[in-house]
Amino acid sequence: MNDPVVPAPALSLFRATSFTRKKIRVQKAAGILFGAMACALLVPLLALVVYLVVNAWPALTWEFLTDVPQGGMRRGGIWPALIGTLYLVVFSRLFSTPVGVLAGVYLNEYAKDNWLTRVVNLAVVNLAGVPSIVHALFGVGAFVIFAGLGKSVLAASLTLAIMTLPVMIVATREALAAVPMAFRVACWNLGASRWQTIRTIVLPNSIGGILTGVILEVCRAAGETAPIMFTGAIFFKAVERWDFFPYSPREQCMALSYHLHAISTQVPGVPEPMLYATAVVLLGFVLAFNSLAIVVRFRMRQRKKW
Amino acid sequence: MRTMPNGSNRTARWVAPGRVRTRAAPLVLLVLATALTVGLAAAGCGGKPRAQAAKKFVIANGGSDTMVNLAQMWSEEYHKVNPNVSIEVAGGGSGVGIRDLIQGIVAIANCSRDMTEAEKAQARKNTGKDPVEWVVGYDGIAIYAHKDSPVEQLTIEELAGIYGEGGKIANWSQLGVNLKAADGSDKIVRVSRQNSSGTYAYFRENVLDKKDFKLGSKDMSGSKDVVELVSRTKCAIGYSGMGYATEGVKMIKLAAKNGDEGCVPSVENVAVGKYPLSRSLLLYTLGRPEGDVKAYLEWALSPAGQKIVKEAGYIPISAVPKNIEI
Repeated sequence: MNDPVVPAPALSLFRATSFTRKKIRVQKAAGILFGAMACALLVPLLALVVYLVVNAWPALTWEFLTDVPQGGMRRGGIWPALIGTLYLVVFSRLFSTPVGVLAGVYLNEYAKDNWLTRVVNLAVVNLAGVPSIVHALFGVGAFVIFAGLGKSVLAASLTLAIMTLPVMIVATREALAAVPMAFRVACWNLGASRWQTIRTIVLPNSIGGILTGVILEVCRAAGETAPIMFTGAIFFKAVERWDFFPYSPREQCMALSYHLHAISTQVPGVPEPMLYATAVVLLGFVLAFNSLAIVVRFRMRQRKKW
Repeated sequence: MRTMPNGSNRTARWVAPGRVRTRAAPLVLLVLATALTVGLAAAGCGGKPRAQAAKKFVIANGGSDTMVNLAQMWSEEYHKVNPNVSIEVAGGGSGVGIRDLIQGIVAIANCSRDMTEAEKAQARKNTGKDPVEWVVGYDGIAIYAHKDSPVEQLTIEELAGIYGEGGKIANWSQLGVNLKAADGSDKIVRVSRQNSSGTYAYFRENVLDKKDFKLGSKDMSGSKDVVELVSRTKCAIGYSGMGYATEGVKMIKLAAKNGDEGCVPSVENVAVGKYPLSRSLLLYTLGRPEGDVKAYLEWALSPAGQKIVKEAGYIPISAVPKNIEI
């Protein structure tokens, strides 16, 4: 009897007991469930886009984008509203980007952890939580009446700027905080001042994050209706096709979001596809800028050296 | 020439210490450019009156939601007649238009009701000018019901009973109408307007005899909203401009007194004053207008402008004989 003892196959050593089988089953089920939830996120977005585009298809033409409203806003296009939205976005970015970035730099790079910093941080967080309609009323009081701007592109842009400021500040702060401390320390050790360090090391390395913040807030500024409704959006203004400067900053302007509200609640007999097409253009505007943000972030990440 | 720390012998370009890495420069430039632009924009148009700031003459026009579509169509057509004048149109309600006129925000206020004495006094006090009224057309306030509603006719008194504070009519059965919602209730769903609306003010004055509305009505913020909600609600009743009729609703005949024969608002019925709820569509200016505003008003009252009043679903002034007071 010198047959070697046949070692039991490894598998049988660890034969799954009913307990482990159950654990594996639960794990699989959980994986499927969570995965399904993640996929379910896509469903509303896809459904929304498909629904809107299908309904809007007959009206979605180049003419629709570049023509002025005609026939009592029941025909023609949305040119003045499109340009008006661009106006509001550009002006509001001009106001809130510098303030937001500078405040973010201060809070992340200069501020000591004292009561003032804590108050500012608290203010930022609270400002972010204020509903847009409240911003609208604040805009009426502060810019339209108190500052004497009247209902105008300026007043509406300033209101949008205030509304988007907290996210600008937070985005800047996060982008700056993502730059490793070692970079700053190395720079300081070479004798650079705080500002030289920020200018040459910190900002260049965080510009991607900051730009992402700017672009995301473009979407918000373009999409909001409430803040501009009382501060500078109008029902209609007669402008020419391809006129890129139909509004002066002290005048009111049309805007896509308000135009959609107006033609769906005020104008009888607007063809359905036109309503949907206006919504699609607004959504397209936002999605295009969101995609731009993704591209910028991707490009900047590739340039990252840590 | 120097070897990089990671061992590659890529040439490192030597730059002056002061300008080591200038990738932040665009950002700094952006900030500066912003400050400059904003400053210029503010300086450029701060001092001048708004009409001169633009290359074109701009007439701001706002107010009544009933008239907003008419004003829009005028603006669109007038731009073809006179491309140098651009007319801004805003809504919000007659009250908003009057307030903006008093504050000098708009040159022309659209109103579907008369200015009150208090408002006129305030305009005089604020601007030193008398508001001038221009009748540009007529409108009948239609009483709308769902298109399948069996309701045919109502009187002003019944309407007051439905809408007015202390009014006893809450169910359709009280009017002898067999109309039930899907859940079996025959409660009258009252659709009304927000209180800055001229239509609201007109209805309150002419139907409710200046008494208040009963609480619990659905107050919509636009003329079209009223019609839309009524067209979706079987048991609803609502009031709105006659120009807002759609296929989903029908107009209820209205009689001034019990026993009278009712009629729906049509051009003829409003023009001869037979329909009880008719009103003037008004434009208000501060003082006698001059120049471009005057030209615009004259155009609005001309046959070309009045044709658009008719297209918008209202009654042009020419349709009403001069001897009839509306």
